[in-house]
Amino acid sequence: MIQQTATILWNQQVGPACYRMGLACPQGYAKARPGQFVMVQSGPTPTPLLRRPFSIFGKIGASDHPEGIELLYKAVGRGTQQMARMTPGQTVDLLGPLGRGFHVPVNAEKIYLAAGGLGVAPIRFLASVLMHDRGGIDCTLFLGGRSQEDLLCPDDFRAMGISVTLTTDDGTAGQQCLLTDPLADAVQAQPPDLLCACGPHGMLQCIAGIAERFSVPCQLSLETTMACGMGACLGCAVPKAEGEEGYHHVCVDGPVFEAGRIRF
Amino acid sequence: MTPDLSVALGGLRLANPVMTASGTFGYAREFAQLIDLNRLGAIIVKGLSLQPSKGNPGPRIVETACGMLNAIGLENVGLDAFVSDKLPFLKTLQTPVLANIYGTNIEAYTALAERLNDIEAVAGIEVNISCPNVKLGGVAFGADARTACQVTRSVRTKFKRTLIVKLSPNVTDITQIARSVEEGGADAVSLINTITGMAIDIHTRRPKLANITGGLSGPAIKPVAVRMVWQVARAIQLPVIGVGGIMTAEDALEFIIAGASAVQVGTANFVNPRCTMEIIDGIANYLREQKIASVKDLVGSLTHDGFAGVDRCKIAGN
Repeated sequence: MIQQTATILWNQQVGPACYRMGLACPQGYAKARPGQFVMVQSGPTPTPLLRRPFSIFGKIGASDHPEGIELLYKAVGRGTQQMARMTPGQTVDLLGPLGRGFHVPVNAEKIYLAAGGLGVAPIRFLASVLMHDRGGIDCTLFLGGRSQEDLLCPDDFRAMGISVTLTTDDGTAGQQCLLTDPLADAVQAQPPDLLCACGPHGMLQCIAGIAERFSVPCQLSLETTMACGMGACLGCAVPKAEGEEGYHHVCVDGPVFEAGRIRF
Repeated sequence: MTPDLSVALGGLRLANPVMTASGTFGYAREFAQLIDLNRLGAIIVKGLSLQPSKGNPGPRIVETACGMLNAIGLENVGLDAFVSDKLPFLKTLQTPVLANIYGTNIEAYTALAERLNDIEAVAGIEVNISCPNVKLGGVAFGADARTACQVTRSVRTKFKRTLIVKLSPNVTDITQIARSVEEGGADAVSLINTITGMAIDIHTRRPKLANITGGLSGPAIKPVAVRMVWQVARAIQLPVIGVGGIMTAEDALEFIIAGASAVQVGTANFVNPRCTMEIIDGIANYLREQKIASVKDLVGSLTHDGFAGVDRCKIAGN
C-alpha cells in the first residue's frame, strides 16, 4: 500500500457517463492482484471530502506506456464527475493497492466469470491475468446490463479468447434476461471449478445461491461505502455468514470473499 | 531556530501536540506503511470495551457536505485481544499510546481503568463519555454533569497515569461538564466528539444510516469545535485537547490559539493518511515564521486587537 501522486494518461468516455482512466503510478502496482482496489482523491478537499474506491480494471505495461493501472468508473456523484472533467497530464492522489483479491487455485481449469454493469472492472483484470499466466485455462464470461450501452468492453474479453454471453434487461443486446439465467443453466450443465463475480448486490446474492445449489466454489467482489479503504474507519461492514458473529470489513477482509462467508 | 513543539498533558510529555483521534487510526499498525508513527505526538487507539463488541449493522457511514456521518457502534476487539494482538506492535513505538475506553456502566469503566493501569505500555487513557452511537454508555455519561464527575472520579481511583476525558458537544453547556470532570480528577479534557446528525435518502425515504442517526465529523464541525474549545479553556484549569475537523496545520493552529494545548486529528486520516505529518511540519513552520519559541506560547493566545468597538472583556473572558 502506497500513497502517491499519479498522472492521468488518458480519460476516455466509453459509455453513458462511463470512463476509462489510465494512471501512471511508478510505485507499488507490480504485484497488484485482480480484485484489489484503490482509493482516489481527485481534487482539493473538502468537497467532496472522502476518497472514492475503484477496483483495478487493468495494469498498464511498461512497453508502450509508463507503468500504471487503469480504472473504469461511472460519473454518478460529485467525486466521479470531478474525475470525468480531468484531462491527461493532471494528477490524482492514489492510495493502493488495497484489499484482498481473487484467489484462483492452481488446479482450476474451468472458470466462469460473471459481471454486471461496472462490476466488469475487476473481472476484466482477473481475466487478463488468468489468460496471460495460465495457458490453456478455460474462461467464460457472462456479462449483463440494463441495456446494450451498459455492457462495457465485451470486446476486451473476446480479444483475450474468452467466450462471452451477453444479457440485457431490455433485449437491446444478447438475451433479454438476467445474466443469472444463462449462468445457472451453464453451471448446471457444465459446472466450473470456480465462479467469480462482481456486480449489483441482488445479482451477487443470486449467484451465491446458484453456487450453493450446485456446490461450486464461488468468489464475490463486494462494494460498500467506505471512508478510508485500509481498515481504520470500520465503515464498510458486511454481516458474516449464518452461525458466525459479527461483520467482515470489505476493505481489508475483502473486497473479494468466498460466497459462503457472507450473509445476504 | 528550531521551535519547541513539546507539550504536557498531566504527567505525560508529548514531543509535539499532534495526536490521532480514537476510531480514526485503528490500532496504528494500519498506517505503519504510510507514515512514520514515531513522529506523532501521541496515538489514541480505537475505543476499547471489556468485552469484544461487533458494532452496528451497515450502512455505517455516509458522506455529507464537508463531513461524514458515522454509526460504527464502537466495534472493537475487547480488552483481552487488545492486549494479546494489538499491544505488542504498539510497544515497539516510541510514541506514547493512549487507550480510549467506554463501558455501559461505571463499574465497566472502572474495571477497564484498573486493568489498563497494570499495563505500563499504555501511557494514558481517554475516557469516552460521549459516543452518540451506542444505546447504553457513551453519551449517557457525558450529558449529565454529576454522572460525568462520578465516572471520572471512579476511573481516577484506579488509573494512576494520564487521564483524559472526552467530552460530547451534544449538551446544553459543555463548560459545566468540563468543570465536573475537572472536579472528578481528570488530567485533561478532549473535545469535541462527533455531533449527532442524520441524513435521509429522499427516494426511498429511509435513513442513510442503518442506525438512523450518527456522529458528524470532518471540516463541517470545526467552527463548533473551536468555539467549544475556547469556552472550555477559559472555564477550567486543565489542559484542553482540541478535536473536530482538523485537516491542516492552519486548522490545528486555530484550536491552539483558541486555548488547546494539543490537538487530535480524526476524519482527515481517512482522507489523507499523511496529514498528521504535514500538520506537525506546518505547525513548526508557522512558529518559525512567527518567531515563536515554543508552541506553549501560542496556547490560548487569542487576541482582540484591531476590532474597533468590540468588548475587550468578552475575549479576555472577564
